[in-house]
Amino acid sequence: MSRCYDVIVVGAGPAGLTAGACLAEMGVKALVLDEQHQPGGQIYRRVETASPATLKVMGPDYDRGLELAERFHKSGVEYEGGAIVWNVTADGSIAYSRQGKSQEIQGRYIIIATGAMERPFPLPGWTLPGVMGAGAANNLAKEAGLVPAGEVVLAGSGPLLLLEASILLKKGVNITAILETTEKIPSAQTFKYLPAAIRRTDFLLKGLNMLREIKSSGVVYHKGVGEIKAQGDSRLESVEAMVDGKTQTFPADLLLLHFGVIPNTHIFRLAGCAMRWHQEQRYWYPQTDDWGRTNCERIFAAGDGSGVSGALAAEYKGELCALEAARCLGIIPDYERDSLAKPLQEAINHDRWPRPFIDAMYAPKLDGSHFADDTVLCRCENIMVGDVRRAVSEGVREVNEMKIVTRCGMGPCQGRMCGPAVAEVIAAELRQSPERVGLLNIRPPLKPVPLEEVAEMELDEASQVQADLFKNMKK
Amino acid sequence: MFKQQDEQIQQKMVSVTLDGEPRELPAGVSVAAGLFSIGEIISRISPSSGKPCSPHCLMGVCFECLMEIDGIQQQACVVEVQEGLVINRGSLGKKE
Repeated sequence: MSRCYDVIVVGAGPAGLTAGACLAEMGVKALVLDEQHQPGGQIYRRVETASPATLKVMGPDYDRGLELAERFHKSGVEYEGGAIVWNVTADGSIAYSRQGKSQEIQGRYIIIATGAMERPFPLPGWTLPGVMGAGAANNLAKEAGLVPAGEVVLAGSGPLLLLEASILLKKGVNITAILETTEKIPSAQTFKYLPAAIRRTDFLLKGLNMLREIKSSGVVYHKGVGEIKAQGDSRLESVEAMVDGKTQTFPADLLLLHFGVIPNTHIFRLAGCAMRWHQEQRYWYPQTDDWGRTNCERIFAAGDGSGVSGALAAEYKGELCALEAARCLGIIPDYERDSLAKPLQEAINHDRWPRPFIDAMYAPKLDGSHFADDTVLCRCENIMVGDVRRAVSEGVREVNEMKIVTRCGMGPCQGRMCGPAVAEVIAAELRQSPERVGLLNIRPPLKPVPLEEVAEMELDEASQVQADLFKNMKK
Repeated sequence: MFKQQDEQIQQKMVSVTLDGEPRELPAGVSVAAGLFSIGEIISRISPSSGKPCSPHCLMGVCFECLMEIDGIQQQACVVEVQEGLVINRGSLGKKE
């Protein structure tokens, strides 16, 4: 018989850690599965083993991870690191691979807290060695204390790009240029949200401080940049960009890209959760109720995977999911859930004040028509933007059809890297919203797993029911 | 492309086999991070374009760090370095 849990939490970032700890504290039998080998997720990656120097550079926001990890361990919740979840079904079963073995387990409820990812943004030369996500460089620093050597260019938009720049400056990294695609003057629309943001002056000051640090460092910092290209033969040598109407070239050994953060939704789509389109931020997220429950009764979405709102909100959202799951399990009554949830909901609201302003200021100015024909769109299968455009001109109207016709999204990453952009390109060609051109269908395995491992799995009797091939003839 | 700056990190090095050659990698970090730390930035040759790739996201999304580790194609960014790992970057190793 397969193992059974009251709740299985997938992911051990702020949302997963909080959900798991909260459940265990209430006496719920819970298991936390984590792809990483240590709790923390991406934002608090390796926080428990971080050196004093790393803790100092990453600042007090990173320290928060220590508190979460401490609560997590104290709660006694079961934790399995290095666990690759490769199937989730709406009826509560999860298949995962760990230490070369796959197994299927059951949860009465599942809280998916798989977080967010950097928005993949195809630009010429982005497949060259030496081009990577800004988050990747951040991870290398947290995980292995590695710092970029040589000349570094940062490009893209969003507060996290500037945050990474300020961290690198503190470490004495040689930044050749920061190329921000955000407009020099924010749109009038942005200021509509300013009054709400002013309620959180602490938050705004933190941002202003960061900007001041960057400006006072004297590093080349351009805004309103366009047509960014990574150049080089077998690896990155320079970055070209349109600055103030003129093409400029910056020497670079490393180009760090960041175009905002979007929910990592493959796992929700695999489970069959209904998805919603966020028009301003241009991403898909699972539809949930106030507690984080998706349209699948047993599946909850917590943290940035349910819509990007940052690490603190992720904690609160994780705890709300845990409270509702505990109520459903009969551990706490309605009124207790509600009274425990109240401060969390207030904290979420408090945290939310500055967000519309920041979101509007760094809103993705995505236009699928801006991608150049000879840019690689699907990295796995080496499909160009032009290939996708040609397929549209031949009558393809939807992303899954595009995948079949061009192989775009058919490689090992299963469309994680090209999915958002291919929808933008098709939508721009058809002069429609990306919402209308669909989402790639996701099927198990969510991540590649050896067939041998699947064959060796111990299965329940229920999973072993033989297909009745003669069903129709018996009638 | 990257260097170790944090002197407070006491790294224990372990022996692994990389493309048939004995090499030392820091224990406990991901294979992808370990390879970066010894200057190996190429993770594989793309089977579709034939060009070299380096890891892009380091958080399990991009699959650019897919390589054969102990006989199985795995994402190097989610596998931890351990003594005795056998890492093969496919056509990258065979060429040399």
